Formats: sequence, structure tokens, C-alpha cells
Amino acid sequence: MRAFVLRRALHAVFVLWGVVTAVFFLVRLTGDPTPFLVDQTATQQEIAEARRSLGLDRPLYVQYLEFLRAVPHGDFGTSIREKRPAMQMVLESLWPATVELAAAALLLSTVLAIPLGVASATHKNGAVDHASRLASLFLQSMPSFWLGLMLILLFAVELGGLLPAFGSGSVQHLILPAVTLAAAPLAQNVRLIRSGMLEVLQQDYVRTARAKGLAERFVIYRHALRNAAIPVITVTGLSLGFMLSGAVIIETVFSWPGMGRLIVQAVPGRDFPVIQAGVFVFALIFVGLNLIVDLLYTVVDPRVRLT
Amino acid sequence: MIRWTGPLLVALALVWPSAIAAQPRTVDGVAIDPDAELVVALADDTTNMDPRIGMGSIRSNYIRQVFEGLVDVDAQGRPVPGLALSWKPVNELTWEFVLRRGVTFHDGEPFNADTVLFNLDRFFRRNLDKWGLKDVLAATSFEKTYPFVTRWEKVDDYTVRIHTSEPAPTLWDFIGREPMVPRAYTIKHGVDGLNERPVGTGPWKMVEWKRKTSMLFERNDAYWGTQPLFRKMRFQIIPEGAARIAALRAGQVALIEAVPPFDAPALAQDAKLKVVSSPQKLSCRIYLNARPKDKYDSGGKDGLFSDQRVRLALNLAVNKDAIIKKIFNGYALANASPVATVAYGYAAQEPYPYDPARARALLAEAGFRDTNPLTLQLLFPAKHYGQSFDEMTPAVAEMLKDVGVQVTIKPVDFATLLQTASKGTLPPNGGFAACRTGNNLDADDFLRDWSSIAMINWAPYPPELMLLYTATRREVDAPKRLKLLADLQRQVRDWAPVVALYQEVKVYAHSARVLRFTPLPELNMDFRGVALKK
Amino acid sequence: MIGLGRDHSAILGLIVIAGTIAMAVLAPALAPGDPIKNSLVDRLTPPMWSAGGSARHPLGTDTLGRDVASRLLYGARVSLIVGLAAVVVGGLLGVVLGLLSGYYRGFTDDALMRLGDVQLAFPVLVLAVAVLAVLGASLANVILVLGVTGWITYARIVRGETLSLRQREFVEAARALGATDGYLIRRHILPNVLPPVTVVATFSVARTIIAEASLSFLGLGIPPPAPSWGAMLDEGRNYITTGWWLALFPGLAILLLVLGINLVGDWLRDQLDPRMERSM
Repeated sequence: MRAFVLRRALHAVFVLWGVVTAVFFLVRLTGDPTPFLVDQTATQQEIAEARRSLGLDRPLYVQYLEFLRAVPHGDFGTSIREKRPAMQMVLESLWPATVELAAAALLLSTVLAIPLGVASATHKNGAVDHASRLASLFLQSMPSFWLGLMLILLFAVELGGLLPAFGSGSVQHLILPAVTLAAAPLAQNVRLIRSGMLEVLQQDYVRTARAKGLAERFVIYRHALRNAAIPVITVTGLSLGFMLSGAVIIETVFSWPGMGRLIVQAVPGRDFPVIQAGVFVFALIFVGLNLIVDLLYTVVDPRVRLT
Repeated sequence: MIRWTGPLLVALALVWPSAIAAQPRTVDGVAIDPDAELVVALADDTTNMDPRIGMGSIRSNYIRQVFEGLVDVDAQGRPVPGLALSWKPVNELTWEFVLRRGVTFHDGEPFNADTVLFNLDRFFRRNLDKWGLKDVLAATSFEKTYPFVTRWEKVDDYTVRIHTSEPAPTLWDFIGREPMVPRAYTIKHGVDGLNERPVGTGPWKMVEWKRKTSMLFERNDAYWGTQPLFRKMRFQIIPEGAARIAALRAGQVALIEAVPPFDAPALAQDAKLKVVSSPQKLSCRIYLNARPKDKYDSGGKDGLFSDQRVRLALNLAVNKDAIIKKIFNGYALANASPVATVAYGYAAQEPYPYDPARARALLAEAGFRDTNPLTLQLLFPAKHYGQSFDEMTPAVAEMLKDVGVQVTIKPVDFATLLQTASKGTLPPNGGFAACRTGNNLDADDFLRDWSSIAMINWAPYPPELMLLYTATRREVDAPKRLKLLADLQRQVRDWAPVVALYQEVKVYAHSARVLRFTPLPELNMDFRGVALKK
Repeated sequence: MIGLGRDHSAILGLIVIAGTIAMAVLAPALAPGDPIKNSLVDRLTPPMWSAGGSARHPLGTDTLGRDVASRLLYGARVSLIVGLAAVVVGGLLGVVLGLLSGYYRGFTDDALMRLGDVQLAFPVLVLAVAVLAVLGASLANVILVLGVTGWITYARIVRGETLSLRQREFVEAARALGATDGYLIRRHILPNVLPPVTVVATFSVARTIIAEASLSFLGLGIPPPAPSWGAMLDEGRNYITTGWWLALFPGLAILLLVLGINLVGDWLRDQLDPRMERSM
């Protein structure tokens, strides 16, 4: 077990190093932030001086080494746009904004999926089953921002401000964005649980449990669901990355002040420090969560060998 | 007992009117709520509250609630006394500002000549060690842009003189419009202190700042001028135009800025809302490559648009009225002068008529016909200036195509555009669509574009225009200078360095509860004298 | 629809897909107007069944007076091309790399999988945004970006299959008889690898079409005046109340096409590889 954790930790560090190196060179390829700093009537000399003040005139490998040296201290430099520490800006947008949104969406997409998936499986081809499968299909087939816009149109405009369409600050503000973000993963999870349950419900050990006279509900939740949970955990692990990414679009539609939006808006402005810090935090979360997911496997399915 | 009543009555008589005057209860006969909080929705946050760092575009909205400059602006764009009561040139090389008395900063520090001297040091980055200040990379570097300002001194506690090495007729503008910061506070708390807890002389004190979300203000009850008639104000950041409108309609905010022109008519029809607007000092144009190869690092070739006839032809090919009516729903201005209509020194010019036939004739005269068509590679910064700009550019390109110009639209992101412009890598047949914001009040701000080597200058002044421009920069006598400016504008209009597209009109919408709100031809909003109905 | 059974819904899906392809191919013949030429005069006319509409523009016009129906038809080309090409790029890349990884193992495998891990940890949209900022937005670059970001899924599947297959007895036997690597890959490994890859690819096409729309929403998709459905959606989102037809039709088009592809994908999975985790 210990060897496993150690190895995974080393792997995680490598991945993080790969990510920060990739983003370091990638953003420098996108261009030069200097013209943003100076007036429209600036001379070449002023522009050169501005570049010098940002430290961008030094050779690339020098900048890279300095960057690497500062990373373990959490120092990602100063934002070009806001003249504040970049990591601070990223953390401010991460907590509470993005965490709230991702957590709410994660919760919705997993917790709601269980009763729906179970009901679909146990009453196969019933009304609930058909309805949820149809809805799932539709929800997985539309662009998330379109869903968001339609929801805004419905709840915020037509129904006269039933739910706020912008910003953050209260639970009501969270509802529409979280629902939009959770929609596709929820649909996916319902289908997963349903098919997983269907498979499991026919297995021998379930029939054994039934034959033993155990209550149906006990059978379902104790045995079947546990095994059906495995694919859900896998997919949740993978989809976390997509959820954090997809949050970018949702954050834009709903003006949610989250980290995804911060990073994506920093790109046109060539705000290197913020992009670097944001991508690093994103990768850190992703790698960390995957590690947790791997460990969760051992709890849910003791058959899994931690090789 | 009877002896008391006399003095008591006198005391009451003295106190009563001011007590009432301090908190009026009605405005124009309508009952108002003096304790109300006004929620305003803006499209963007400010990056910094330090005026030297944070100014420019929407951000000055935040800064100018808290800070003020020596010179203030009225709703028509005319300069009026702010922290300075008056300003005049004492001689050709000296300006004198007489300061307002009795003004204090929010923390109680008095505003006087020492404050102004300190601020001047900060602008020009002098004596920074003496004050113990960190050097900041500001938006405009004063000492580079105005190297002719030599020294400043105080004549008495409320009079400051600024000396220049050559005549500087616009000094009242570029110095006067810059917000003033408190001396003792800035020295003690530094630039970070100014940003985190800004202290200014303005009508509002900043109470709380949740970045990218909202900023809370409280009225400065010790303000020297007309007070806002409500106590609290919140700037809420809502980047999406549709979301701002939804919020206004739902009653979650009471005033929104930057209403997209295509939404304005629907809002105007709502009885519970009012739509108001004001022209801005922002002109959108197509900049054409008219750089001569010897003067500029232009890649060894003359710009294709160096011929004035070609540029004039393109101006005649654009149907500005159609654009303003159809795309902007009337919320834009056609302006043939390079100077915005609400700038100081603007002189109305004969508009460029919409005359495609004449445009074709001019192009033919310059040697461009069907067999040898004029080509234009138009860099187009999509999604940077707003949807109306994005709709307008292809429409304009189509109009140019209609007179035989082969236009290729190249959408680029704004950073790439800036880089191309600043590195000078525009191809000879290149151009770009961009909008020029005036930073200050004076017309010079617009006219200087073509006078020096800069990223915005793709059509340098010919010698005769350069002479005239230099003259406007040396004439300190105001009436004489205004005449020179008018002359220069007429000549620039004929010389047509760019294709003039439109001048921006900024649209605001607010609930009918908000009274006496008048938009400024500035980037910031003014809430002095504004009240909220009960 | 689903109650009719998998086969019926798959047929429905196929009809939708075929219809879209027909639309795309026959666009020049079917289109009532010009999808590119703009005309201020015709700006924002509603569909022909609404007040103010005309038969000349059956689905109305957009903010630049361009015919929506024509843009919808030509836009089908863009969506289909982007969807297919990106998946082909990603699929080819992924299959090749997966084969290399699984077959030769060792350093190649380590390096490729690590690269994949690094790429996965990078937020997909940010990667796309940054790369497009470097390369500039164009049809080719969008295809490239969307394709390259997807290779890992294919690689993993192919690698898994390859790893398990290469151990099998018949492979050992064939090699003992002198079969080359290439022969083994072509004859034994590839055929086993293709079914799951096909299923993944089908769902990928659907996801790519949505991804292209998302990129356009962020302002990075195929640049104007190209009639892509994603770009149409983005242009129309500010006019939801006054010009509802601008966002509705491309949105419906995307929804229907993606739905069709998903239905076909479901059916394919049932046929080719029912073991596969129903995670798509």
C-alpha cells in the first residue's frame, strides 16, 4: 500500500512538472503582453522598457529556471493586468466560487443519479425509465451553454426573476449554474447506474441474497449498488476534469466569478502569470482528485489490486 | 426661564435650516428615500484603485467616485472647477492653479498645495526616494509624454504654479484631469494601501471590495460639493449585456451601463424604465497603411493607402447613416472631424457624403480599376469592442466591396492586433478596425495621433499639417488656439488619414425610481444630485 | 422512441445523419439565398410565418441580413467536416500511438502514457484557447486542436487491447513462424481493436460538434463570415428575445444531429462490444 501511494505521488509530481512546463512555453508562444501595458501612442522605446520591467527580455531558459524556482514557494509572479500576486487572484476565484459550483454540480449529478438510476433499473421499461432515458439522451446532446441560455430565458426573464441570472453570493445564485453544469454528467450517471444495476441484478450472488429472503431494498442498496458504483466512480474521476473545464463556459454564461473564467479571460490579455498559476492549480486539483478516486476503488471493490 | 428662549430660539434658527438642508426629502416635488442603496450594474471590474495604475476604460468609473482631479467636467463635456477653482496661464511658460479651500480627504487630511505638489512628484516620478514610494508602471508615463513640464512650486497654501520649458496650452487638461491622492496617507500606506483602502476627496467612500463581484460605497458626508441624495451605492459586476438587462428588468439592480444598442429600443418602451445616453470621446475607424517606407520600419514598402484620394474614396464609400440607423438603432454619431464632438476644441466639419459613384471615380483617378483593383487586408478584433462593432465591420467591408475594393477580413484577437500595430508588421495593403478613446478633455488628445512615431500612427502628418499641429500646441491664448484647432480639423478632414466609421454613444438604462441621473460624455458616471424615489 | 427498441432508434438516428449529410451536400441547390453576402437592408427579418417575414427568407435573416436557412444548410458542412476530420485526426493519432505503446512497451509506453497524463491534467478548454491563440483561428486549426486533444482515449483502448493480445498464444506461434511485427499488428491486433475504437469514435464525433460550438461561444471557433452552427449560436445569443430565430435553429440543428449520432453510437456499441462500459 505504501509503495503504491509513494509511486502515485511521484507520478503526480511528474505530471505537475509537465503541466507547468507546457503552459510556460505555450503562453510565451501566444505573444507579447507588453502592448497592453502602454498607451496607444507609446514609442518603441517605451515598449521596450515596459518589456524589461516585466522581465520578458531575458533569455527563455533564464526565465524558465526562475519560474521553476519560484513555483514550490507558490509564487507565480504578479498579474500583468491587476498588478497583484497571480496565485492570490487564482485562489480568490477558486474559493469559494469555483469550488461551490463544482461541488454543487458534482453533488447534483451523483446524488440525484442514484434514485433515478435505481428506479429505472428496477422498473425497467416503465414510465420513469423511459422518461429518464429520453431526458438523458437530450441532455447529453446539447451544448451546455445553450442549455444555460434557455434556462436563463425561462427562469430569469420569462418567469420574472424567479432565479437570478448573474453573479454569485447566495444559494439562489448557485441554482441555475449548478443545474446547467450538472445536467450532462447527471444524464451520464443515470445511464451508468441503470446499466450497471441491470447487469448486477441478474448476477448469482444477488439471486442468492434474494433466495435468502433478504428485503429487496437491502439487496439493491447493499449489494447491487456497491458494484454498480464502480463505473460511476471511474467516470466521475474522468469527468471531474471535464467538469472543471466545462465550468469555464457556465461561468461565462452566468457571470460566475470562478477560476475557469479567470484563466480563459487571461489568455486574450496574455496575462502569463495568471494563466500559469491557474493551470497549475487546475492540474493540482485534477491530479489530487484522481489519486483519491484510485484510493476509493480499494474501499468499494476489494478485488482491485493496487498495482 | 424666559431668558433662555431668546438664545435658544436663535440657536434653533441657526441650526434648523442646515439640518433640513442636509437631508432633503423631496426632489422636484417627488418624495425620495435618503437612506436608499442604489445598485448599479457595470460590465467590468477595476484592476486597481490607485489612479496611476487603474485608469483607462471602464475602470475609471470606480476610481472617480472616490478620487477627484483639479478639473471637473459637466454633462456637455465642458471643463468646470473641481478641486481647483480656476486655472490660467500666467505667462507663456507658467500655469497657475488656484485651489479650493476647505476640502478634506476621507481620512481628514486637508487638501492643499502640498497635496498637489506631492501628486505632481508622483506623476512625473520625481523624488520618489524622498517620499519613500515604490515606483509603479503607470498607464501613462508623464515624464515621457510631457517632458516639457519642468518644475512646480507653491505660491501659498492654495496656489500652485507649474513651469514648462515650452508653451503648454493643454496642461490644465492632462494635469487637471488626473485624480489626486492624499499625501500623508500614500506615504504611510504606499501604493498597496491606496489600492486596498482608497482615500480620496470624492463624494463616495469605498467600504468594501469583492473583486470581480461588487464594490460597496458610502456617501462622504463631508463632501465639498453637491452631494448624492442617497446614502449607499453598490457597483455590481455583470459582464454579459443580456444579464445586466435581465437584472434591471427583474428589479435586482436599478441602473445599468453599457446597454447594447440593439437592446435599447425594447427597454425604452418599458414604462418602468428610462433609457438615457451620452456621446463618448471614442471614435471608431479603419486605420489604413499609409506609412512611407523610408520614415517607418514598414517592411520596405510604401503603404498602399498613401494616396489621399484613395483614403477619401473609402470614406465616401461607407454609408454611415445606414450603419447608425440599422446596427446602432440611432445610438452612434457620424463625425467627420477627427476630434470627438464632446471634446474641448471640437469644431464641426462637413460630413463625408455617402457617394459610391464619386468613390469609384476617385479610385480610378488613383489608378485602381476593375483590372487593377485595390485590395485591403482588414484586421478585425472580433469580440473586443462589443457586438455592434462586430456586426458593423463586415457590413462596412461589404460597402467597400461595392465600390470595387477587394476586402479580406482577417479576424484576430486584440493582443495580436496590438502586436502587429506596435511592431509595424502590417502588410502594405493592410488596415485594421479599431476605436480610439480620448483620455482627457482637450482635442489635442485626438490630433496628436499622427504627429509622432507610435503604434496608432499609420498616416503621418505631411509637413504643412505638422506645422499647423505644432502651432496648436504652442498657442497658449485660448480663443486663438480654438481657431487654430478648427482650422486643423478642417484640413485633417480633407486629408482623411483614416476611414471614419462612427463615434460611440453610451447608453444607460435605469429604473424610473432613479431621479436626476444624467450621463456624462466621460467613461465614469456622476451621482452627485441623484436621488431615489421612495 | 426508445421503447420501440434499440434498432428503431438507431434507424431514426441514421435518418437524421443521412439527412444532415444530404443538406450539406445539396446546400447550393437547396439554399434560398446567399449565406455570406450581407445586406443591411434585410437585417433581422423574422421567419416567414411571423409578422414581417417573407418567403424569400423562410427562416429569417441574421444581424447582417444573411439568410438563416442558407447558413443552416452550409453550416451543416462545417459541423460535419469538423466533427469527422477532428475525430479522424485524433483517432489515427491515438490508434498509432496506442499500438506503439502497447506493442513495444518499455520506454515508448512510459513516455507516451506520461505525456497523456500531462495532457489530461491540462484543462481542455484552456489548452484549446491557448493553442488557437498561437496558431490563429481557422477551420484547419480548429480541426487540429479538437483532434489532437482527443487522442488519449483511443490510445488507451488500443494500448489495453494490444497489451493483452500480444501475450496470446496465437501471436507467439505466429511470431515463431517468422511473422513480422507489421503483419501481426495488421492481421491480429487491428481487427480486434477496431470495434471499440469505432464506438468511441462515433460518440467523439458528437462531442466534437458540441465542442466546436463551445469554442465559437468563447469567440475562438471558425472565424466569420463562415456559417458554422456554433458561430450562428454565438451571434444569436444576444438576440434571444428580439431575434429568437437566430439562436433557436442552429441550436436545434446541433441538438438533432448530436442526438442522431448518439443513438447510432448506442446501437453500434450494443452490436460491436456489449462488454464495454457504458460510460459514453
